[in-house]
Amino acid sequence: MQEQRVGSIRFQIDFSQPLYEQILEQIRSAIAKGEIGLGQKIPSVRELAHELRINPNTVMRAYQELERDGLTEKRRGQGTFVTSSKERVETFRQELAARYIDAFLSQMESLGYSWSDVAAYVKKKIDERSGERG
Amino acid sequence: MTNICVRCEQLVKRYENKAALDHLTVEIPMHRIVGILGPNGCGKSTFFRTMTGLVAPDSGHIEVLGRKPGWATNRDIAYLPDRARWYPNHTVEKAMKWADAFLPGFDMEAARRLADFMELDMDLKVNGMSRGQEARLMLLLCLSREVPLVILDEPFLGIDVLSREQIIEGLIDFLEDREQTILISTHEIHEVEGLFDYAVFIDRGRVILSGETEALRAEHGSLRDIFKTFYKRRLKR
Repeated sequence: MQEQRVGSIRFQIDFSQPLYEQILEQIRSAIAKGEIGLGQKIPSVRELAHELRINPNTVMRAYQELERDGLTEKRRGQGTFVTSSKERVETFRQELAARYIDAFLSQMESLGYSWSDVAAYVKKKIDERSGERG
Repeated sequence: MTNICVRCEQLVKRYENKAALDHLTVEIPMHRIVGILGPNGCGKSTFFRTMTGLVAPDSGHIEVLGRKPGWATNRDIAYLPDRARWYPNHTVEKAMKWADAFLPGFDMEAARRLADFMELDMDLKVNGMSRGQEARLMLLLCLSREVPLVILDEPFLGIDVLSREQIIEGLIDFLEDREQTILISTHEIHEVEGLFDYAVFIDRGRVILSGETEALRAEHGSLRDIFKTFYKRRLKR
């Protein structure tokens, strides 16, 4: 699996997983991390399909989903842009964070750890880090 | 209008003692880019020839675009066969003019754009073309037709990497906003698997697996992995 840069977004496409979800997730996370800024243009469907060598319909589906999420907007004749709403991106970032934390917690649970074990571990880490920072 | 492009039931074609199609049964949906995948000699070309009426099946049933294959359905099919035939005195431009005169639905404008994009010189003589140039010209003549079904039999076979790249690029460009079904057979899956939204795996004249590529990926991994798995199994038998 090799990393490809298209515009300011990095992609890693794994052909053993559904492609639509990978494109969606990778653009979402680039927006949430601020790798691509508010109001910035994202590659066209055609450009991304060419660079990643995938069916333009697959790219199109991912783009429609981003638009429905309100993370991007289409401007007639100009292309697709990241939303210029800071609030929208922030809300999405928090949703993403909640999802990561939930995933982490359910994995810990499945290993048989109680939430108080997890809390204790997190607290230990916080203490270590603040110790490092002095 | 049905949403099935090609429907086959128990299709059989024998050549002497060998069954090229062995009770092949499949339904291929409309408006997809379909990979027809399998090792050499698995029956892919015979399958395509029955779709275009060039081969009559010994038994079984086949319907293309809701009809029995024949001259009437062939108006609606752009077919890239596994071997090319040309008028030796043609140039790229003459071949395109010939296509414009004789192939239903041929769009000269689209052909010129594709020729430019795939870097085919209009004055190039058919006689002196490399395999890669020939493959690009054949593909161009197929893709420039506004017909509901396009069949490409091994469009990447035996051509250089550069031509292959140009063909893939040409295909991606072409795929946007088209209401067509495109069947592409190949045994070199790796470079093109991202193009397919539907796949049919053939082995020894039978369909052994078919479905939406995204669903196949979620269940079995990449198309290339699927190909390797069943091919290996076949070698062991």
